[in-house]
Amino acid sequence: MPFMAGVVAIAIVIGLPWLILHYMTKWKQAPKMTDEDERLLDDMHSLARRLEDRVATVERIIAADNPDLGRLSGSQDYRPSLDKGRDTYRLEERN
Amino acid sequence: MAVRTKFYLDKEDAKWKGVCAGIADFTGVETLWVRLGVAGLTVIAQQWWIIVAYLVIAWVAETKPTGLYQDREEAKFWQGVRSNPKRSTGEVRSKFRELDRRLADIELHYTSRNQRLADEIDSLR
Repeated sequence: MPFMAGVVAIAIVIGLPWLILHYMTKWKQAPKMTDEDERLLDDMHSLARRLEDRVATVERIIAADNPDLGRLSGSQDYRPSLDKGRDTYRLEERN
Repeated sequence: MAVRTKFYLDKEDAKWKGVCAGIADFTGVETLWVRLGVAGLTVIAQQWWIIVAYLVIAWVAETKPTGLYQDREEAKFWQGVRSNPKRSTGEVRSKFRELDRRLADIELHYTSRNQRLADEIDSLR
């Protein structure tokens, strides 16, 4: 079947490079990270990790100093009362 | 040159030249599946040009420098950046938000405790 062979040859010769070039242009158009972005993100990531370590240390120290208050983050015993206090304070300030 | 978002040959995990291990390290896919995929495409799907592509990549790409990342967590983070920078940036941002929240909790804890202390001093008067 010379006709089928011709179709296949055309598909390979034209179709394949077309496909590759199409995806290459798409890939080129996609937003790329510059060196500056990469360095910035690297700094931010290491900074976040260091800060998290520090905050964890501080939280541990506070938890050791105040065992009665329980775990600091996520405990709800003081936050609502303080919010209420803040609201009354604002009301007084207005008067 | 972008050090962390570049393709490297991974010689530490290499079977032959480290291209499959490099692809696995770049994308975060298991090395085994990359190797099986390449082998399957070459042998079963009869894509023999993959061998040429493998050799070209092995010739062109640089070897991964040792000690590029401090630990596994950092390596994983940069794998995420390579596949989806937007999501990774969002993760860093949410981490900063979480830290802010935790610091606010600590601050709140101390201010509220001082308030309680002031109340007790008032009651002693």
